[in-house]
Amino acid sequence: MKGKWRFLVASAGLAAAALVAVTAATARTSASSAIIVDGTTDTVTNIDPAGNYDFGTKAVDFMIFERLLDSGPGKSLAPHPSLATKCASVGSLKTWSCTLRKGVKFSNGDAFTSADVKFSFDRSIKIADPSGISSLFANLKSVTTDGDYSVIFHLKNPEATWPNILTTPAAQIVDHNVYPADKLQPSTSEQVGTGPYVLSTYTPGQQAVLKPNPSYWGPKPANGGVIINYYTKSSTMKLALEKGEIDMAFETFTPTEIVSLQKEKGIKVHQGRAASIRYFVMDTNRAPTNNIAVRKAIAYLMPRQTIASRVYHGQVVPLYSMVAAGLPGHIDAFASMYGTNPSKAKAAAVLRAAGVKTPVTGQVWYTPSHYGDASADEYAEIQRALNGSGLFKVSLKTAEWAQYVRTLGTTKGLFQMGWFPDYVDAENYLLPFYPKGQFLENGYTSTKMNALAVKEQGAATVKARLAVVKQMQVLAAKDVPIVPVWQGNMIVVSRSNVQGIDKTLDPTFTMRFNLLSKS
Amino acid sequence: MSNSGTSLKTYALTRLALVVPMVLILLTLVFLLMRVAPGDPISAALGGHVPASVINQIRHQVGFDKPLYVQYGDYLWDIVRGNFGTTITDRRPVSSIIVENGGATLELTIAAGLVAITIGVVVGLLAGRYRDTWVDVGGRMFGIVAYAMPVFFLGFLAQLFFGVYLGWLPVSGQASPITQAFLPVHTHILFIDAIWARNWAALWDITRHLILPAMTLGIVIGGIFIRLVRVNVIRSLKDDYVEAARARGIGERSVVYHHAFRNALVPVVTVVGLQMALLLGGAILTEETFNWPGIGQTLVKYLENRDYVGVQGIIVVFALIVVFFSLVIDFVNAFIDPRIRY
Amino acid sequence: MAAVGAAARSSRRGFGSRLRKLWSPIAETQGLARVMLVAGAVITFFFVVLALFGRWIAPYGFSQYQAGGHRFPQLAPPSGAHLMGTTVESDDVLSRIVWGAQTELKVVVLALVFSLMLGVPLGLLSGYFGGVWDRGLVLVMDAFFAFPPLLLAIVIAFLLGSTVSSSVVTAAIAITVVYVPQYFRVVRNHVISLREETYVEAARALGARPFRIIHKYVFFNVVQNVPVIATLNAADAILLLAALGFLGYGVQPTEAAEWGYDVQRALSDATTGIWWTGLFPGLAIVILVTGITLLGEGLNETINPVLRKRRVVKVVFPGKGTGRVE
Repeated sequence: MKGKWRFLVASAGLAAAALVAVTAATARTSASSAIIVDGTTDTVTNIDPAGNYDFGTKAVDFMIFERLLDSGPGKSLAPHPSLATKCASVGSLKTWSCTLRKGVKFSNGDAFTSADVKFSFDRSIKIADPSGISSLFANLKSVTTDGDYSVIFHLKNPEATWPNILTTPAAQIVDHNVYPADKLQPSTSEQVGTGPYVLSTYTPGQQAVLKPNPSYWGPKPANGGVIINYYTKSSTMKLALEKGEIDMAFETFTPTEIVSLQKEKGIKVHQGRAASIRYFVMDTNRAPTNNIAVRKAIAYLMPRQTIASRVYHGQVVPLYSMVAAGLPGHIDAFASMYGTNPSKAKAAAVLRAAGVKTPVTGQVWYTPSHYGDASADEYAEIQRALNGSGLFKVSLKTAEWAQYVRTLGTTKGLFQMGWFPDYVDAENYLLPFYPKGQFLENGYTSTKMNALAVKEQGAATVKARLAVVKQMQVLAAKDVPIVPVWQGNMIVVSRSNVQGIDKTLDPTFTMRFNLLSKS
Repeated sequence: MSNSGTSLKTYALTRLALVVPMVLILLTLVFLLMRVAPGDPISAALGGHVPASVINQIRHQVGFDKPLYVQYGDYLWDIVRGNFGTTITDRRPVSSIIVENGGATLELTIAAGLVAITIGVVVGLLAGRYRDTWVDVGGRMFGIVAYAMPVFFLGFLAQLFFGVYLGWLPVSGQASPITQAFLPVHTHILFIDAIWARNWAALWDITRHLILPAMTLGIVIGGIFIRLVRVNVIRSLKDDYVEAARARGIGERSVVYHHAFRNALVPVVTVVGLQMALLLGGAILTEETFNWPGIGQTLVKYLENRDYVGVQGIIVVFALIVVFFSLVIDFVNAFIDPRIRY
Repeated sequence: MAAVGAAARSSRRGFGSRLRKLWSPIAETQGLARVMLVAGAVITFFFVVLALFGRWIAPYGFSQYQAGGHRFPQLAPPSGAHLMGTTVESDDVLSRIVWGAQTELKVVVLALVFSLMLGVPLGLLSGYFGGVWDRGLVLVMDAFFAFPPLLLAIVIAFLLGSTVSSSVVTAAIAITVVYVPQYFRVVRNHVISLREETYVEAARALGARPFRIIHKYVFFNVVQNVPVIATLNAADAILLLAALGFLGYGVQPTEAAEWGYDVQRALSDATTGIWWTGLFPGLAIVILVTGITLLGEGLNETINPVLRKRRVVKVVFPGKGTGRVE
């Protein structure tokens, strides 16, 4: 018995030692050098273009489908030709005609024609999937074709920025032979587009594997394929990046993780000015924020600098207008009206002048993970700033995104929101929030703002349009139903041997994997 | 309830008959729980800029606008036919979720179960045999502390130590991305699929990814096994037949090994069945910590997204699995030990 | 008549003697069981003190980020000013551990009270009266019992989270739902076995009303089981609460400090070499649960006759006429 025991223990020990040795020796799996492995904590909803309106899916879709026009990369933000060689208004700004590129094939060999374009738009509107983006086509009356290579868009109202709509994920073109006209194509079924990649396999929640499309009309991708790996926690994604299991990660590390990654050898943190913003919404119908003095006081107290430096370690910049900085038409409207730094004195003064009793009580809402885990820290800072001034006494409440977003204006008086633009133009930062049809449900209406919105959309020249844009920002700061807080950077972290990332860092927040290569 | 001499067949039938009301109650419980939730589950699952007409359309599609008893009937009838619903947020049929992600959870729970049984039996036997010596004390303390460790804390320490400081083992996923991308999938249990494809490099990669999660969950569950095995060993060492064996002059070593140990293991079967529920729960936490793509992680995701159909479907499957397992365990027990039959 | 008389006499002899009866197995422990009991009691007592007197022990509030006009450093390692370092929100870790003890105990005690209030009466009534209600209740309880505990707790917390405003109460209710079936089952089984005892049958035959029987004979017997189960359940409950907190369904950070939630926030810190935000809350959980388990195991060893090892006491034969009948 004793002998048997000893033997067992010895052999177990030997086996363990062998296991550990072999493990340590093969610590790095050999990766095919042409394939790029990307990690992300974003999730995919539906790959069918008619069924998604989120970043995670955009990353996959933009590589397998294409649009008539494109924005970016780099400085060329104005819409330029992709599947369409030319798009121009005909007569008034209510009719737009596009000439399509000839000789383009879908990845299954089908020819790309105007029938596919009409089909894609029609089905998107017909399916009207709640997770989808068809709301961007609210102004579209109908699509008609004129031969195989010409398409005409008939709008309800004049819209100068219609070409921008054509660059959004809403306007991706699918093969009319493959996709059902009245429902979504399941994500694990065949996906057919004209883009540089083909979706070779998709395992929900785990991986999307992209292989180069052999019949692509444009330049071949700079790599042999892309694997997008999905993570639930950024900490595991960070470890995977450090060990080389993935080559890069796009979305989303916590600010602390990014600071740590910046210091590591073999890893590079790329930051580009992005156009994503975070803002603070207030209900104009409900106490206490129905009193404009309270809203102004909050605008005076917003601790943007503390948030940018302490919470985000300089990875975001304070924002003084709902229109992102760097876009034509942007002005620092809030800085002009409320100053760049928080001012307790001015906040106290405006409250006193309106006869508001302090401290003002209220509940501030935020969502703990959808806008990044640092939201908890960010809102702790906002609470500290408000309560610390002695003028407010607010408590914090949280709800996960799905529940948070369904009751936006109905239960919440003060709440966190974020915005990634559909297309990179100042109007996309104003129309969704202020005029009639705004989605925040915070009770804000203003006939003056509505009038400005109509004027902006129908403006004949760019100069006239931008002038209206500026007026809208000034009015937004005056009425202050929303306080802009910060603007974020597009951050991509990669191992040092990945090239081409800087080419795809631009305000469109699009990860163009086809430009990346690995040495 | 002293019906001696009942045959195995009678027991089997009685036990099976009891399963039906149990399953029915479980299913009804889940149905009610999901409907009792405040607010409209559909608009909770989707959100943002959704007009009311679209919400109604989805409600109609999913059947939430029918009267409650009709929904209940449909729900039961669907389950009988194996249809557990299709999720609202990403349109996956729950049955394919179970198949695709279930393989991963199965891989994890089987590996962890093996670890737990090994630890539990070995340490429990030693502790019971050498009761009140330092072996016993050490073994018991190990068991207690192991179970007191939250799985996610142990997992996180393991990740730090073996993954970061030592760098020996990977800390997330079932396999490295490249391996997973190019391995043909048949059973969704990657370990088996790698053997099927005779891809030994992939098998090695998968094994390396399996080590930390399986050890973490296994150690924690093993903590409980230690206690149970130990108590059984002590009890059987006091048993009459052991006394008799000693009285007959059989050496202590032989007594312990041949008589007490063997019989102490019999209840382990029951214990394994009972721990199934714990394993499934522990799997949720382990999967979250190690980014393991199993059902637990998927369930957490649907919970966060308020996807009632997904949550309901997965819970129903979990409950049915537990019922099935307890049935099997009871049969095995009744087979081994006739005293247990009704 | 004699049985009733004896019972009456014992109840008149009163509380003190009953307490002595309860305490005697504990006083008789020796060896390892005693060590476990004592160690467990000491650890548990330490945390209870932390919980009760947290306000005076903790150097700062649970989400206090500044004192005396200047802010605490962010993610600072353990030092003289902050013995366990600070978190990413500049909160003092040591304070959060102390306040966390209060949260854990608050929730667990609340859950215990709820479970006892529900499980014991239901078990008593169901076991004593039997019948259709009993069968039905047993099936329902078994159904709940079949659920993986964490799953059940998550679902309950998730469902109640939007209606119940206090997340402490929500977490307590979620934990209660998980443990009520256990109390129910144990109490009911014990009651069933007691029901057949001769003195209970005798009382019934004599026409005593059911509630009187339950109160006099059954209740105290059955209640003896509760402390051991409650202790072991308390350990489990803390793990369950921490798991809920880790997944985000437990006590919300805006309401109170909770160890499981702290470990989850610390996960991303750890990969950057910041170990103190996760290690201390994690260790707190492990130590407290170990303490309670030791206490429970120790109690189990003393009360469970199979495992009990009594101190050998010399037998003293009573002289004539003292006639004590135990």
